Amino acid sequence: MVARDRLEQLRGKFGSAIQRVDLPGDSRLFVFVEPSVVKNICQYIFRDLDARYVISIGIDDRPFSGNFMVAHNFAFDEDHLLCSVLTYLPSNNPKIDSISDVVPAANWAEREMRDLVGIEPVGHRYLKRLVLPDGWPEGEHPLRKDFSWDHVPKEFNDEREFTFDEPPEGCTVVPFGPFHPTLDEPAHFRLYVEGEMVRGCEYRGFMAHRGIEKMAESVLGYNDIPMLAERICGICGCVHSVAYVQAVESAVALKPPPRAEYIRTIMLEIERLHSHLLWVGLACHIVGFDTLFMQSFRIREPIMWIAEKISGNRKTYALCVIGGVRWDITPVLKSELRQVLDKLEAEWREVVAAVSKDKNIQKRTVGVGLTNRDLVKNAGLVGPVARAAGVDIDCRRDHPYAAYDRVEFDVITAGGGDVWSRLLVRMSEVFESIRIIRQCLERMDDGPLQSPVDGELPVGRMGLSSVEAPRGESHHFVITGENNRPRRWRVRAPTYQNLQAVPMMIKDQQIADMTISLGSIDPCFSCTDRLETIDLRSGATRVWSQRELLELARAKEVRR
Amino acid sequence: MAIPILFVLSVFLGIFAYTTLVERKALGRIQNRFGPNRVGRWGILQPIADGLKLLIKEDIVPRRADQFVHFLAPVIAVIPSILLFSVVPVGTRLVPVDLNIGILFAFAVSTVSVLALFMGGWASRNKFSLLGAMRAVAQVVSYEVPMVLAAVAVVMAVGSLSTLRIARAQSGGILNVTNWFVFRPWGFVGFVLFTIGAMAESARTPFDIPEAESEIIAGYHTEYSGFKFALFQMGEYLASIAMAGITVTMFLGGYNGPGSGPGWVGGLISMFWFFIKLAFMIVLNIWIRGTWPRVRVDQLLGFAWKVLLPMSIANIVAVGMWHYLTFRPLAWVATTLWLVLWFVTLSKLAATENVAPRTYRYAS
Repeated sequence: MVARDRLEQLRGKFGSAIQRVDLPGDSRLFVFVEPSVVKNICQYIFRDLDARYVISIGIDDRPFSGNFMVAHNFAFDEDHLLCSVLTYLPSNNPKIDSISDVVPAANWAEREMRDLVGIEPVGHRYLKRLVLPDGWPEGEHPLRKDFSWDHVPKEFNDEREFTFDEPPEGCTVVPFGPFHPTLDEPAHFRLYVEGEMVRGCEYRGFMAHRGIEKMAESVLGYNDIPMLAERICGICGCVHSVAYVQAVESAVALKPPPRAEYIRTIMLEIERLHSHLLWVGLACHIVGFDTLFMQSFRIREPIMWIAEKISGNRKTYALCVIGGVRWDITPVLKSELRQVLDKLEAEWREVVAAVSKDKNIQKRTVGVGLTNRDLVKNAGLVGPVARAAGVDIDCRRDHPYAAYDRVEFDVITAGGGDVWSRLLVRMSEVFESIRIIRQCLERMDDGPLQSPVDGELPVGRMGLSSVEAPRGESHHFVITGENNRPRRWRVRAPTYQNLQAVPMMIKDQQIADMTISLGSIDPCFSCTDRLETIDLRSGATRVWSQRELLELARAKEVRR
Repeated sequence: MAIPILFVLSVFLGIFAYTTLVERKALGRIQNRFGPNRVGRWGILQPIADGLKLLIKEDIVPRRADQFVHFLAPVIAVIPSILLFSVVPVGTRLVPVDLNIGILFAFAVSTVSVLALFMGGWASRNKFSLLGAMRAVAQVVSYEVPMVLAAVAVVMAVGSLSTLRIARAQSGGILNVTNWFVFRPWGFVGFVLFTIGAMAESARTPFDIPEAESEIIAGYHTEYSGFKFALFQMGEYLASIAMAGITVTMFLGGYNGPGSGPGWVGGLISMFWFFIKLAFMIVLNIWIRGTWPRVRVDQLLGFAWKVLLPMSIANIVAVGMWHYLTFRPLAWVATTLWLVLWFVTLSKLAATENVAPRTYRYAS
């Protein structure tokens, strides 16, 4: 009972400040504490108990308890325990002590909390807006419950440009993005450059925030959300769908049938396969080696086809519902999948042999985009980025879900902490994925695909779920609610943490290494951003404003 | 004078147009694609379609650009590349202009194109353009030095700067082949040095750093569109073809080959050999482009100054040894040993040496 031990440690230290404890099993722990000790308890958990920071969540709980809530989530990876520290804040003028000076990784999460829920992190050093655009009026917080999902404040000025920090003396500013040939999605890095050396940067992102969480909390139903969740990301969609479903299932203590768990595992690993193959291709493209880029795409294509055969789609598998899955893997599909894997394994071995001996790729990647254990800990880095720095974490093993506790696989780590190590880790993980899928195909028994769900799901329960996406841990937090939909659903994609470390990784490097360093975390901005804005489009004779475009789009909608 | 001009414009511009097609086809095959195959059979009309498309495309000039320089840059990029062909002998006694300082003229003219790149980058008022232009200047200036020194070796051996005389010096021997300079120790080293330098100077992958798409968008021609963009591309291709022609002339025996010689028949055969060798050099360029990743700008410059430059100086010494050691077997052994020694030493040094990071005055 490790969860109980951890709880005793907390009780011993902060006995009187702990108001309530919820211990639903041996792998989840919810601790309700007084607002005044939140910072201390987080410091204790993060520094003394050496837990990994996951995410902070602001919750507007006023319609239910009359209060705001804040949750700080931590993971004890060795104890297989996910822990949430919760606190209630008064409904007028909610404030909480910022934990970002003891847990630097909480920087973004607290800024997002301030933007979207209006909870003020007191003592945060850099309170610039993160998610909301600069033209958004003060005091309007979209994730509050009294803010309608389709409301746009009148004072919103969508023409307003970002205000930027002053660059350091002697540096030139080179804008990198939102449009750049190697950025597939919008993000803006303002690089401070001295000659060819990058001295720092400012990040402005969240240009593609689609309001997915708000939509789920106010319009959709429990079983609609997995379909929306997998549209969070164009590559690791299934991860989000599974993570959401598991969070709900863990909240209401529902267990999917074993066959469904195996099918989820198989689809997640198929997704990892095609994501890693894509990434190796893109990395080669970034260093100007287009031949391998094309070859990886060729090798990857059969995976997309088999995914289409299983689910009807190359991507967005529409796989999960609460309590099970929607697609079966028939004996015919099984044998086809086995063939695809055999061919893939042989071809991938050739690629790995070619790449791992290539001196030129090494020259471009060794010692580039450096991270170390400290940075991993402080910035909360996850996935291949952490594993390439020698930090042995993998949610599939540490917080087992689906059928991962029934298969054998190795967690690949490397020591360099540079782009080269990340390349090696990802290339080897492909073989582990193949191994996992083969075991699943072997051990999968016949049985139902879904567990029956009777009546309404219980209300007010909390659920956590971590799923190891190809890019790292994807963490979902759910509070179940009325009207067949969750009260609060928070998605923390792996890139959300990894991106925060990019300014540290590119500092004092050549500008030429910027793209490969950024690329090496396999950034996924749509996961991180979750909104939608349309940028100015300049024609030759006329500039369309965002408003005109929106009106144009709406008029078209009406005509149809 | 009209005939050589017409010859250069028609033949080499034709070769340029179809080099783009061959390159796209070959790269396509290397990269598991088809390459152009829609316009005409095997995409044979693709270059014409591309040319037409680029001609009628909108020409966009940034509002804050330096209009005049922005216009001038692509023109200046093309002209020197065309001028280069005037000293390339394509057959026995067939050279557009027989300058007695042909090689010198070629280097003088080819350097002008770097001005065009910088003008383009500077006039565009775009930081990516400027970064690309700075890289282009650094790269071309660095690679010019070992390239010229590699050519000096040939000039020393022949005793003339005239391209025609250099080609003539390589005739004779068994089947008109064994006297090619590439079959001498110093000539082989010179050939490798010159080919690398030529590739870097015309900014082709793996040396396409001035226009590295994934880093600085399109470098100095980021702000160019339509036919001005086409002119930059044209200048680049023409320069690389002309440099291939000069490489052939200086090291691969020029127009010499089995059957070449004076007279009608010999002349035609000599032209055949020249163009075959030119095609070989072009395909070699494409092949290298398809199979090598791009190097980083500091690694590239380091390679030029730390490896190529000392090697080319050693090569000059080797030519001197070759000249004075009249007993041929001894000359072979001595020059080969000398060059191998340098090559081993330099590659060891280049692999081990570690430079401390540069410190800058501002912005710590």
